[in-house]
Amino acid sequence: MLSKFDYYKPASLEDATKYLNENPETKILAGGTDLLIGLKNKKVRCKHILDIKGIPELNKFTYSEGRGYFIGAAVTINQISEEKLLREKYPAISQGADALGSYQVRNRATMVGNICTASPGADMAAPLLVYDAKVHIASSQGIKAVDLCDFFTGVKKTILNPKELVVGVSIPDVEKGDRSVYLRKSRIKGADLCNVAIALRINPENKLSIALGAVSTIPMRLFELEKETAGKDLTPELVDWLATQIKTYINPRRDSIRSSPEYRYLITGVLAKRGLLKLIDKEGA
Amino acid sequence: MCEHDAKANCFEYIDSQMPRVPLDLVVNGERVHEMIDPAMTLLDFLRVTLKLFGTKEGCREGECGACTLIMNGRPVTSCLILAVEAQGAEILTVEGLSKDGELSILQEEFIREDGLQCGFCTPGMLMSARALLDRNPNPTADEVKEAIAGNLCRCTGYKSIIDAILSAAKREREALRNG
Ligand code: FES
Ligand code: FES
Repeated sequence: MLSKFDYYKPASLEDATKYLNENPETKILAGGTDLLIGLKNKKVRCKHILDIKGIPELNKFTYSEGRGYFIGAAVTINQISEEKLLREKYPAISQGADALGSYQVRNRATMVGNICTASPGADMAAPLLVYDAKVHIASSQGIKAVDLCDFFTGVKKTILNPKELVVGVSIPDVEKGDRSVYLRKSRIKGADLCNVAIALRINPENKLSIALGAVSTIPMRLFELEKETAGKDLTPELVDWLATQIKTYINPRRDSIRSSPEYRYLITGVLAKRGLLKLIDKEGA
Repeated sequence: MCEHDAKANCFEYIDSQMPRVPLDLVVNGERVHEMIDPAMTLLDFLRVTLKLFGTKEGCREGECGACTLIMNGRPVTSCLILAVEAQGAEILTVEGLSKDGELSILQEEFIREDGLQCGFCTPGMLMSARALLDRNPNPTADEVKEAIAGNLCRCTGYKSIIDAILSAAKREREALRNG
């Protein structure tokens, strides 16, 4: 037995927010790949399960020129991974999707679920952060959009309150020549959580964006470090400087079962350098 | 409850006693209608309600792949899905691979290549492999590895499994060519 709960699958957003308002102790079910583990391990208890996969808005997965992508909360990781235009325009996001869990898990897990679980190493977080993604949150009061960089508040904690649900994530359009990369280090090749993850992006105006996962309590965007690179060309010298500097921005846990802080400091520098060199490389191509 | 209590971790289905909900779906080509416990997983539904024991129960948390089946054309771990979520779905389990008592090419190749020893991972491996060959009839060894990265095997060392899938792919392509 997972818990004692009933199950409700609304067909409209209105019904869903109304249900959340009237039923405390409800858990939202999208892919279920985190929720069912939580229920099985008794880390999560609830009276009601609200399955959001039947809500049309949440299944939206659209691109429009000038506005970019909208990815609904019911869209799975493999749907994202299979979307060719997204891979062309936002490589780091597709690479994050490829890296998450196993193929079977990616068929159920959703991008929005991944950020709502808010694990520090959430594979979708860093890639979305470098693209200035916005989280669209619905409640009975309506829908608001929040910057993803303001969404995470701690280990497995977000700004969401129990009466709210995420409709989807929007990602602004990118210009031609925008490049990005997502790199992660895990213990084994294959399905494993990561020790360090980094997303790097450079836009046609040479503006660099950097986000890290698994090296602090929350996935984070390094705005300060980015500022220091403003107006500079991404030369091998700057890459070396960044790879050293980046370590001063992280705060890895001491009690992690996966790796020591020392290892994470080291690997963060290595991945930063590797990723930045990849970005330079593509410039020549 | 102690975390290391074997009994507590042993996978015995306990009815939540919540009011039953209707479930209609197709399993291996057959329509199924049952009134079920809303808190039961799809894996429990197959094993406990339908008594289809082919789909195995390993970790119950999406790590081992033993419970893999194909749902609406995609391989998924059935321990992470509530049975109610499968409303209207088409499910293919290992029991649905053979036709009229004859093993499929994929199953034959697992036997020929020694792709199994204890056999516990095999149903899950077969379903991941089946789904791979359905979307990509000519996979590379790396693509095979990626497709079964979520399926653990404690016995074979994987090599024979990968070989079995690759040779099944070849035979299936030949069979298709020869009509
Ligand atoms: S039993 Fe489902 S993945 Fe292990
Ligand atoms: S054959 Fe024993 S686990 Fe794979």
